[in-house]
Amino acid sequence: MVKKIKNLKEFSLSNDRFEGANLMCPGCSHNIIVREVLNATDDPVIVATATGCLEVCTAVYPKTSWDVSWIHIGFENAAVAAATVSAAYEVMKKKGKLPPATQKMVDEGREPKIVAFAGDGGTYDIGFQSLSGAFERGHNFMYVCLDNEVYANTGGQRSSSTPIGASTTTSPAGSVSYGEKMMKKSMVEIMADHGAPYVAQVSPSKWKDLVKKVQKGFEVYGPVYINAQSACTTEWKHAPEDTIEVSDLGVDSCVWPLYEIINERDEHGIIYSTKLNITYRPKTKIPVEEYLAAQPRFRHLFKPENRHIIDLWQKAVDARWEYLQKREEAGV
Amino acid sequence: MAKKYELNEVEVWDGNMAAAHALRQAQVDILAAYPITPSTPIVQNYSKFLADGYVDGEFIMVESEHSAMSGCVAASAAGVRAATATSSQGFALMVEVLYQASGMRLPIVLTVVNRALAAPLNVNGDHSDMYLGRDAGWINLCSYNPQEAYDLTLMAFKIGEDLNVRLPVMVHQDGFICSHTAQNVKPMQDEEAAEFIGEFKPVNSMLDVSNPVTHGVQTEEDWHFEHKARQHHDLMNSVETIKKVFKEFEDRTGRKYDMVYTYKMDDADVAIFALGTTVESAQIAADQMREKGIKAGVVSLRVLRPFPFNEIADVLGNVKAIGVMDRSAPGGTFGAMFNEISAALLARGKSPVVLNYIYGLGGRDTTIEMLKGVYEDLAKSAEAGEAVVPLQQFVGLRGPKLAFY
Amino acid sequence: MARDLKEIKDINEIKDLGWDELIPGAALFSFTEPVEDVAEVPMEERPYAPTNSHEWQVGDWRVEKPVYNRDLCIDCQFCWVFCPDMSILSRDKKMIGVIYEHCKGCGICVEVCPTNPKSLLMFPEHMDNDEALSMWPKKEEKDK
Ligand SMILES: Cc1ncc(C[n+]2csc(CCOP(=O)(O)OP(=O)(O)O)c2C)c(N)n1
Ligand code: SF4
Ligand code: SF4
Ligand code: SF4
Ligand SMILES: [Mg+2]
Repeated sequence: MVKKIKNLKEFSLSNDRFEGANLMCPGCSHNIIVREVLNATDDPVIVATATGCLEVCTAVYPKTSWDVSWIHIGFENAAVAAATVSAAYEVMKKKGKLPPATQKMVDEGREPKIVAFAGDGGTYDIGFQSLSGAFERGHNFMYVCLDNEVYANTGGQRSSSTPIGASTTTSPAGSVSYGEKMMKKSMVEIMADHGAPYVAQVSPSKWKDLVKKVQKGFEVYGPVYINAQSACTTEWKHAPEDTIEVSDLGVDSCVWPLYEIINERDEHGIIYSTKLNITYRPKTKIPVEEYLAAQPRFRHLFKPENRHIIDLWQKAVDARWEYLQKREEAGV
Repeated sequence: MAKKYELNEVEVWDGNMAAAHALRQAQVDILAAYPITPSTPIVQNYSKFLADGYVDGEFIMVESEHSAMSGCVAASAAGVRAATATSSQGFALMVEVLYQASGMRLPIVLTVVNRALAAPLNVNGDHSDMYLGRDAGWINLCSYNPQEAYDLTLMAFKIGEDLNVRLPVMVHQDGFICSHTAQNVKPMQDEEAAEFIGEFKPVNSMLDVSNPVTHGVQTEEDWHFEHKARQHHDLMNSVETIKKVFKEFEDRTGRKYDMVYTYKMDDADVAIFALGTTVESAQIAADQMREKGIKAGVVSLRVLRPFPFNEIADVLGNVKAIGVMDRSAPGGTFGAMFNEISAALLARGKSPVVLNYIYGLGGRDTTIEMLKGVYEDLAKSAEAGEAVVPLQQFVGLRGPKLAFY
Repeated sequence: MARDLKEIKDINEIKDLGWDELIPGAALFSFTEPVEDVAEVPMEERPYAPTNSHEWQVGDWRVEKPVYNRDLCIDCQFCWVFCPDMSILSRDKKMIGVIYEHCKGCGICVEVCPTNPKSLLMFPEHMDNDEALSMWPKKEEKDK
């Protein structure tokens, strides 16, 4: 059942099912994303989480921060965990053996939503196989990547989501290195190419955009991928209070474009249309430099010998923005 | 409703078909699996049962064994019956999740068709995979033929799902020699099997949205030890349930299972200890030795974990010499079974001669002649009251004799 | 036999549990009794289990705390939506205050508060809230 959320005041009527006194860093975006996702629905939610900050900080025995059923198995299997819970749910539903309270919800048209949360490490890297498999099989669940572009939980090592020039503990900037050498992997397109009915990129700072996308995702049947920008005060090295500002800079510089890809299928499951919609257009597109300057993980790029990386960044962001706009225009 | 499968009183099934029928009769809710020789036919057979309307649950053919076991863990935590099958490399890929399954106390059933581990790659039977998983906190049941593979797979559900146990269970059978060799099997009828296993009893089901539960927590130095202790305690104590289920099964079928399997051990002077299909070959060798006047017996484990420490010391304590057959490359020490059996004997104050034989790796034929050779060694050592051959020997191997100690 | 963690009311009792008292598999429960429709039940009315982190505190992580000034607040709920720690209490579309047991002092709520002067400001942890309110700054002139 789609929850009515016209504005923020209405949204604030939500009763959080994610609890305080968890052990996430002050100012952590992961938490903001989790709240916004869970509060996007009043239907029951069941969560699977990959090893990573969110997991090690919200289920440390003897405390749980979850008011929904939750499972963590390992680092690389959040997708299959959520997918199989979904399959188990469907089998029990078919057999008429759901627990009574759950059956009651189902009868009221409030089917449980099954959501996986995983970091970029658990998604772009080690969990990619499990994610790809679960999407190919078409299970009905939502996968949310908390993308802080680094292995935060283990002390800030690079992932294939780490953008070029970032200094991480395994791609440190040094006298002969500007830090990470590779561009970020384009996960959103990769997941859309799996034929998923709905794929989107979001930022917690644009809460309404995020909530709307999550609601759309909950409405379709099949695997849904949400790539969520997650500013990490510890590894991006900005002050905790700047989390929302840094996120906004990412969105307004088009480093983190907000868009969705919808694969529409006919009754045989054949995709007859793929549409990309840009869901947020900055009034004025700010220079990438401002985004980089807000995060000490890029500080070294401002040295004369590394300035070319900032130029490269701008070029790459412009090209990508251009690409997205072209796709949107072409309706593909 | 799943269709009833019409079964004859005696079917001719190989080990894979036997295991597949047991999984079908258990009406597993989620079977998540990935094919690998020699266990592939289990999932193929199961898929066919599903395609023909004999299964109500779902078969998910995942993209790896890691996901197969992860899927089983998630399904089991969701409160449904989950099972899978694998061998060798697939088993190795599952190892991480095997520990998660047992640590989370989920009664998953895994049918393992034992096969060698690469490198070099090899598709044939040995016990490398079984040994790899032996400390993973699972109950391990061992079969020697298709009938037992069937029986033990049925019993695995009942044992693991018992509210005093709640642990995952592996059922081992030898690759090819058991899995691909058709023999007579007496199955239960579907209703009887279902009644024997009983309905799955969910514990802390994630699907009950009114009782949110957190599965798979983090525990650090202040809690991990206690949880592992609890797990070990419950695994050790599962013996009671295992024996109870064995008894109930015997009452229904007349087929008797014990923690330790023995053959002609009452008066034996020398004994071969082995696992898997070698147990049956060793019995033939023992009979032939007895014709020559050597009192030979055979001992095996029906339950590898929890290890029947006392029973093993009891049945082997009074023989003069024991040949422990380990079908897995020992990797720089004695075979694992040699170590465990020697420890049980020593700790119980028994001191027969114990010899270790590494054999049958990668499916190398285990001949009666070879086993008789082992008995000869044992007989000589028994007579001398000490080992007259090296303590560890590779048998059935080409090239110069390989032996240590 | 495992003691039912749900039945333990006192957090301190949990800390001393021996191995024999643990729930197999280390499962944790959110509530002491079933809650049919969690999303409909506000936190004041939930039967939180002692194993729910809601019952615990992280307030001592702070060096500075956000202080709330009701007089200036326009109830926009920015602070509510962006607080990472569920520490802004809102009811019926009104901001009510900060849940200090759970607030980690990140300062996000202050940053996103749009009023001028702000309706939330950071003050030293040890300062009394009334004192903080008495020191509230005046409206800031925006430089043109
Ligand atoms: C199989 C395995 N390999 C490595 C690890 C160690 N490890 C745990 S979390 C983690 C990084 C998590 O990074 P990410 O997925 O981006 O999540 P974040 O902590 O950044 O939210 C690593 C490397 C592990 N737990 N399991
Ligand atoms: S390290 Fe980053 S992602 Fe992890 S809890 Fe801290 S702020 Fe959040
Ligand atoms: S952000 Fe400021 S104005 Fe808005 S509700 Fe919070 S305290 Fe009030
Ligand atoms: S300081 Fe941070 S944790 Fe505390 S109320 Fe404000 S936003 Fe929430
Ligand atoms: Mg990360």
